[in-house]
Amino acid sequence: MTLIKVTTNGSTIVSRGGVFLLIWWVLADGVTSSWWIGVPAVLLAVTTSVMLLPPASMVWSGFLRFVPFFLMRSLLGGVDVAWRAFHPGMPIAPDLIEYSVRLPPGLSQVFMANTVNLLPGTLSAVLDRSILKVHVLDRRKDIQAELEAVEQSVARMFGISLTAP
Amino acid sequence: MLNLGVGMWRILRGPTAADRMLAAQLFGTTAVAVLLLLAQATGNAAVRDVAVLFALLAAVTAVAFVRRAWSNQDQDHDTH
Amino acid sequence: MTPIDYLSAALLIAGGIFFLAGTLGLLRFPDVYTRLHALTKADNLGLGLMVAGLAMQAESWAVAGKLLLIWVLVLLAGASVAHLIASGALQRGIRLWRR
Repeated sequence: MTLIKVTTNGSTIVSRGGVFLLIWWVLADGVTSSWWIGVPAVLLAVTTSVMLLPPASMVWSGFLRFVPFFLMRSLLGGVDVAWRAFHPGMPIAPDLIEYSVRLPPGLSQVFMANTVNLLPGTLSAVLDRSILKVHVLDRRKDIQAELEAVEQSVARMFGISLTAP
Repeated sequence: MLNLGVGMWRILRGPTAADRMLAAQLFGTTAVAVLLLLAQATGNAAVRDVAVLFALLAAVTAVAFVRRAWSNQDQDHDTH
Repeated sequence: MTPIDYLSAALLIAGGIFFLAGTLGLLRFPDVYTRLHALTKADNLGLGLMVAGLAMQAESWAVAGKLLLIWVLVLLAGASVAHLIASGALQRGIRLWRR
């Protein structure tokens, strides 16, 4: 992997530092004496992440809206798939469909692919030049609308406005 | 609850070939769940840390497995 | 038993059911791809519900946070692995099962 020189603004460092601090606090069970190790570890983590990951602007309000969306979809989809697994007749009709992603290449696309993966009933197989091949458990459902909703939600989180397909 | 976890553990010997890593993955998740339940039941917080480790290791193992098992195929198109 | 305990127990049992469904799906579904569906569901919902149930009984915020961290870790791992296995299987030409 090549190191990319990026101009980083202060807010990226601060927000990432905050996240890493929180993770450390959680890992250390809130024991304050551990900060002797924790603070250097957090600094190292921030440095590494800044070097490896270009700064991506995340919109926190978008993130806050994404979480309930994700949980809700997971639950609905999960119940659906679980029902299919338990059902004696196993009513599934798997298929592979293609979806052209409107998100720009990079982190947001990968994020969408991963989200699609985690939502029950869909499975992103190949992401190649903005074409996402999705394996679905039941092709009779309206997958297109579902994927569009996911995409919209991810776009909002990264502060991207989607252009019409 | 614990029984349920252990029970599922047993069933996990069925699938074949490539699916084995799926079973391994589910195994890992189940282990995490069982460890978390254990931590709660025994009140031993250290067990919870073991679960964190398992979660981390499961990821690394699975990726390594995919790489090794399928590396004889053509070179991966590395997307990064 | 407080109401919280009941709710927590309900969440734990629900998580267990999803784990069971995941395992069952892993055994019953006909090909690699469909089995992956079963797997990610167990990861996501089974563990998620259990984590939620346990977090309710957690003695401190740090413990609840740790539970959440574990879940997020497993989710990230699960998503990436599912993607890797699916694309690997496609590359190798493992056929889809169709009704």
